[in-house]
Amino acid sequence: MAETRKWTPKDDDVNEDEEEEDSQQYSNQKDAILFAIDVSTTMLAPQELDDGDEGKRKGSTPASAVLTALRCAYGVLQSRIISNPNDMMGILLFGTEATKFDTGGGGGGGVGGGYEHCYLLLDLDIPDAEGIKGLKNLIEDPEEFEPLLKPAKEQVSMANVFFAVNQIFTTKAANFQSRRLFIVTDEDDPHSTDKALKNSSVTRARDLYDLGVRIDPFFIYNPAKGGFDSSKFYDDIVYRSPTDEEDDYHAAVSGKMRLRQMVSSIKSKSTPKRALFTNKLELGPGLIIGVKGYLLFKRQEKARSHYVYTGGEKAQIVKGVTTWLAEETAKVADKTEIRKAYKFGGEQILFTPEEMKAMRDFGEPVIRIIGFKPASAVRFDMNVKPANFIYPDETGYIGSTRVFAALHAKLVKDGKVGIAWCISRKNAAPQIVAILPSVEELGDDGVQIIPPGFFLVHLPFADDVRQNPETKLVRAPASLIDRMRAVVKQLHMPKGYIPDKYSNPSLQWHYRILQAIALDEDMPAQPVDTTLPKYKLIDRHAGTYCREWGSELEKLAGNLAIPAARTSASAAKRSTLVKGEGMPRKRVKAEDGGGEGDEVMAAWRGGGVGRLTVAKLKAWLGGKGLDTDGKKVDLVARVEGALGG
Amino acid sequence: MADKQATVYVIDLGPTLSRVHPSRGECDLDYALTYIWDKITATMSTGRKTDVIGVVGFRTENTDNAMATADGYENICVLAPISQFLLDHLRDLKRALVPSRGKGKGGDGFSAICIAVDMIMRYCRKLKYIRNIVLVTDGRGEWDDEGCEDIVGQIQEEGINLTALGVDFDDEEYGFVEEGKVPKKARNEKVIKKMVEACNEGGQELGIFGTLAEAISELGKPRLKKIRPKRLRPLSPSTSSDILALLSRNPSVRAPILPKLRGWDPVNARAYQIEDGTTAGGMMDIEKEQMEKGYNYGRTIVPISATDEAITVLETEPGLRIIGFVPVEKYRRYFSMSTTNAIVGAKDNLKASMALSSLIHALFELESLIDVQVPFSEDVRHYRFPPLDKVKTVSGKVLEKHRFLPTPHVEKLMSDYVDKMDLMVANEDEGEPEYATVDETFSPILHRINQIVRWRAVHPDEPLPLAHDILTKYSYPPKTLLGVSTNALQKLIEASDVKRVDPKLAGRKRGREQPAPKSGLDVEALLTSAAPSVPKKAKISSANPIPDFKNKLRTTEDLSDLKEAGKEMLAVLKELIKYSLADANYGRVCEILKVMREEYIEYDEPGIYNIVLQRLKEAIVSEELDGDRMECWDGIRYNRLGLITKGESERVEVDDAAARRFLWG
Repeated sequence: MAETRKWTPKDDDVNEDEEEEDSQQYSNQKDAILFAIDVSTTMLAPQELDDGDEGKRKGSTPASAVLTALRCAYGVLQSRIISNPNDMMGILLFGTEATKFDTGGGGGGGVGGGYEHCYLLLDLDIPDAEGIKGLKNLIEDPEEFEPLLKPAKEQVSMANVFFAVNQIFTTKAANFQSRRLFIVTDEDDPHSTDKALKNSSVTRARDLYDLGVRIDPFFIYNPAKGGFDSSKFYDDIVYRSPTDEEDDYHAAVSGKMRLRQMVSSIKSKSTPKRALFTNKLELGPGLIIGVKGYLLFKRQEKARSHYVYTGGEKAQIVKGVTTWLAEETAKVADKTEIRKAYKFGGEQILFTPEEMKAMRDFGEPVIRIIGFKPASAVRFDMNVKPANFIYPDETGYIGSTRVFAALHAKLVKDGKVGIAWCISRKNAAPQIVAILPSVEELGDDGVQIIPPGFFLVHLPFADDVRQNPETKLVRAPASLIDRMRAVVKQLHMPKGYIPDKYSNPSLQWHYRILQAIALDEDMPAQPVDTTLPKYKLIDRHAGTYCREWGSELEKLAGNLAIPAARTSASAAKRSTLVKGEGMPRKRVKAEDGGGEGDEVMAAWRGGGVGRLTVAKLKAWLGGKGLDTDGKKVDLVARVEGALGG
Repeated sequence: MADKQATVYVIDLGPTLSRVHPSRGECDLDYALTYIWDKITATMSTGRKTDVIGVVGFRTENTDNAMATADGYENICVLAPISQFLLDHLRDLKRALVPSRGKGKGGDGFSAICIAVDMIMRYCRKLKYIRNIVLVTDGRGEWDDEGCEDIVGQIQEEGINLTALGVDFDDEEYGFVEEGKVPKKARNEKVIKKMVEACNEGGQELGIFGTLAEAISELGKPRLKKIRPKRLRPLSPSTSSDILALLSRNPSVRAPILPKLRGWDPVNARAYQIEDGTTAGGMMDIEKEQMEKGYNYGRTIVPISATDEAITVLETEPGLRIIGFVPVEKYRRYFSMSTTNAIVGAKDNLKASMALSSLIHALFELESLIDVQVPFSEDVRHYRFPPLDKVKTVSGKVLEKHRFLPTPHVEKLMSDYVDKMDLMVANEDEGEPEYATVDETFSPILHRINQIVRWRAVHPDEPLPLAHDILTKYSYPPKTLLGVSTNALQKLIEASDVKRVDPKLAGRKRGREQPAPKSGLDVEALLTSAAPSVPKKAKISSANPIPDFKNKLRTTEDLSDLKEAGKEMLAVLKELIKYSLADANYGRVCEILKVMREEYIEYDEPGIYNIVLQRLKEAIVSEELDGDRMECWDGIRYNRLGLITKGESERVEVDDAAARRFLWG
């Protein structure tokens, strides 16, 4: 709450940069997840990690449901540190002999005690190094695990568990957009003999519903009971609205949840579903349905770095405070005194806030289909940013889903796409989008990987397209193309590109290092990079073909060198260079840049890099493989940086 | 960098230009200036120092030019020497551009062109410039074509583009002929046309002659900035991929940035602070030298030294490496996350080009290779959605018929409609039958802002102009398609039977519906039967206020109970604030207010909320809740929990201004 905030009401804002706003919206909606894990004899019994594959290959020992759930929570914790660094997470064990319940925050008359057999393993909060380390030790070290995870002799009161959850969310995650409780249990009827306890559990569960806490149960198959019957207890606990889009019948209905499925199910639920916008989809004049838009693909970046003050007891983030000063008088300006202007003809052109709004006003938000084209009309090169996903929404227009489904079926069947004028939100810039149908795809474990619906692909405007580069076309002869075809055929990926197989190596590495420093672990030696091509495999499949292609190219290139020599001297020089391998090429390059290098060095020693021409600076930077863009000051800074650092 | 350019506008300011054409309602000069201002401001908006402008007026009252002493150069004024045009120039020019009153005889048009040619020659010398002269006239003045060939010769020698536009000039191609044209104007038109066309002799296309109306009608058409492809980065010499260069293909063009300003130029100053534990809410200033860099790992702050920082960056070599190939039909087009780059062989490297060509032809019959970013696993949000072609009930049954599923009839009608709305044959103009191609569509915001900024520069006191039609052309389906698809659409609308929910009712509790768990259990009945003796009107507890509050509202129809609930909640709120350690409970306060606000709107009793909020504010302002609690009020502001206004509920009289005053006052 103490963070500094802008006090301008949002609807008065003029949307300057949409992308920025997208991410802004996400960061403002905070999310809290609490894992509640049932600790009982059956939950602690070792179980085979089903479907064998992974478990057996790694030669791991069978794990109990509790341990698997904790590992899963740990995995979610780690991935959320990267993806949702401001979100909270906590772990509550219930049914333990030990009791520990001292959630911080206090105030408001928190009831002490009364939470027997509830053990708050990780208090609901943004995870810190200490908590993460504790959890890690618990998972890895049986000596820590066993004494703590002792089941109680009596049945824990679920009403108490729910009230404990209530208190945790109320005090620690007040005013959060999303609060979810993940219950992992194999007990389908905890209060079979005590009607009063069951009833008060039902009431406490409804309190949670009133608080906006969503319960996601993960039921574990209990062999002793021969299954899991959610109708005995949990169907009275869990609330779902009829229009609830989340598809969780899978877990609740089958009543038998295998551990691995639980893991992937929890993972896929760990990001709360949030709509980016609610909008109208107009199929034609007079035919309007409601839709909600989501962002399913978004570049995950490293969290930004901060200035840190380490002089105190604990490291603290330093806050940068910007104040605007009048240039001449150095008087501090109030934010309301600052207005925005456009630069024009050496001066600034001012507009009233109303005019600023009016000039961006192209009407109410709408996705208006103006017609249809074959899917091939949305060419591969016509792309500017990640696509948004839309799904029907019945709240504003009853019947939206069936119309949406009819359009979806038609476009899938005929391989067509809709073309639409799209204003995604109030004040958003109009875009032309292609409406692409996606077909539902399930992973091997039955969990959805591609949802059915439409993707809105933003098409570039004429203003966005750059000229094609000028190149000399050298058409490869058929012999070379055929050899390349053989290579391509060998390196075919039958399943297509599957994002889940490729982690972002630089992001993972960054956080791996941070984790090592934060948890005081050994530095990892080698980054794991799943994006690298599998060279051994490629060599086995396509090595021969690659080499054939290579020698054919050499043969053909020999004939190319002569015309090249005629066109220009420098080209001839280079095309002969290509024949050489690695080293000579580099050497020649260094010689090329040599003359400038000397001059630049000399200028640098004399402190006069700024006196060199832009061309010289660029040549030098280019020779070093550095960026040659920008104004002269940038270039000079870069050269000085390269020489000085 | 774009080429340097010099343009001289030669503008007829004769008294005849004050004529107001009945169908246009403005004088001919103002009409001509529509064109001139648009051109000049378009140049100005580039902000380039190397795109320069000069202005010559002829048939002016005075004489002011380099050859003023020579015969035949009277009544010609250089209104602006060639230079980068700034707003001051524009203001000066605006004052100067009025039709002259006197019936001065001089001001020969060709002489004025001569002056313009002279200006360009002096300014550009032999440097590389694009040279332009733009002439606007009504053709009613003096046009003495004696010695015209010399001017033409000079224009050709200098390579100057000459554009001559006339008010109501005849133009067969455009389809305009002025009725009752005076003989003098007819003669002048011929002479000017002849001269302009003479410039085109000798192989150079320099002259353009036309009627002003045509030029003005084309002004709305967005001008495209030619953007040369940007070379991204030379690839590493150590890999085989040094044969490639990457070029970015469509970077999104953005509207110009808005600098901040108010009368004076603001500069910003940054200060660095940390929270100071010794004083409540206090901040301590930190010197820049005392700071290190660091990252958050969860809640933990990880300070990182410069050497450690280097380790956190994964070492990579630039280059493209092929992982494998995916059939086109298996590529999910919506995976594309970025702008696209074209990959071509390095310049003058024929071998590389050939190697690349073999790959391209093995994949597609195209001429360049395009790359685009696809998501990593971290970039994917796994939201799940139910299927669209079947409905599963809570009990797991699969339904083929459901109100969420279209009937075969609706599917058939949808199919007919989609087929009729085919954009591939919708373009009425000649050439490409495809409608709304990339090169026909222009960024509405970009060109709209551009238009308005330029308009405001010339017309500081007038309201904003309308947007050009081209910018909204693609906001509706083409008329041709609407015509042929009307029937199909009407049938589809009837069959699909979509009903709009009244937005006023959408939020209201429909018949005080009780929420039920999945089993459909009536929790209320269960409670009453289990403990009939417990009185319903239990007090709202501060440990569980929100559920208690909701429960209280659910179980009553009485206005007095609703009011009582508000009172009890106010007490809870005050207690929370009073015993809050610093800001510890403020989040809960906001959450409670949010719930109350929603509920009282839904129960149609917004007045109760407004009273509670007023009482709470009084308590905060009077500092009776253990000191200064204004930070809590800040939170209420931030969460927009002000008074319920009449826009939100008809049952209150609070307007937006009053609500603002209350929240911010």
